[in-house]
Amino acid sequence: MIHAPLTTTSVLDESTDVISMVAAPWAAVVIATSIPYRFLQALFVDRLIEVGGEASHYGRLLGTTANFAIAAFVLSLWGRAVFARACRLAAARGSAPGREAWRVPAVAFTSYLFTGTLAELIFYATIFTGVGTLVAAIVGGLAIGTMELNERASISATIRLIARYGRELRVLSALTIVFACAMFISLINVAATFGLGMWLSDVFLGADLSRWKILFSGNNRRFVLATIAGAWIALEPFWIAANVMLVRKAGAAETGEDLKVWFEELRQS
Amino acid sequence: MACAKPLCQECATQWDGIWHCAKCLAAKRGASDVRSNFAGWLTLVIGSLILLYLSAQMMVWAGALLSGLF
Repeated sequence: MIHAPLTTTSVLDESTDVISMVAAPWAAVVIATSIPYRFLQALFVDRLIEVGGEASHYGRLLGTTANFAIAAFVLSLWGRAVFARACRLAAARGSAPGREAWRVPAVAFTSYLFTGTLAELIFYATIFTGVGTLVAAIVGGLAIGTMELNERASISATIRLIARYGRELRVLSALTIVFACAMFISLINVAATFGLGMWLSDVFLGADLSRWKILFSGNNRRFVLATIAGAWIALEPFWIAANVMLVRKAGAAETGEDLKVWFEELRQS
Repeated sequence: MACAKPLCQECATQWDGIWHCAKCLAAKRGASDVRSNFAGWLTLVIGSLILLYLSAQMMVWAGALLSGLF
């Protein structure tokens, strides 16, 4: 399934093909495992806003929430790993994978646990800077993209893999910017879904929604945070598929596999 | 050669500048694999645990710093 040279649009096109094959049921796995982490992150931010400038006096409260969030993060990494494997299998075979998608190799998952957490650490450490967040997004994307290429348990090998595929910086940066824009669109869609649900309940069920209208409004901080978390959860399968396809295409160009496939397609036509 | 058996050029293989017979070479490769793999697993798991701990700490630190600014 390597049809076009490595460009941002070809990566996005081919990741859409892969997602249409693996969405049911594998997208549900990544969404279900991401929900606890994203909502705990939202809870953390909510508590942070609540305590405001006195945050340094609430170390235990914030620390406990952060610890729960990081525990949920490990679960979300596993969900992402299963989905990435499903994408890789679908791209290789051209059909939806079966139960074998669950069998993520231990070395691949442990390597991803390391690199995925490294990306998260970079994100929190550089949250004040725009460039740092971009670097964290790129490292996180490459971590999931290269996950299954890890054959030996080694920190240096897994970092080298990321550095090797990090040479496609132009496409990686473009993908990150595309997904940053997609985040806003996803946010609007999630918020609109709540609005539509309210409107349908009002029109068809005649329900009294005066209380719900206050809860589902932009004035409710918790609703806004939950909507942001929901928007990112909805986008996550696309982000993972795009990175898996990018690494696959970059690797194919490096080894000449793309030329072999192209020649085979020419011979068959 | 570790076993000190006399071998012809065709039966010996050079590794790191030293000639080995097939048996000695297999034992050497096996031993080095087990050792390096165990070390790799250990560093990877410990490294991941350290990073997870640091991430939780960094999350609180960055959050507290950010909320202090506003």
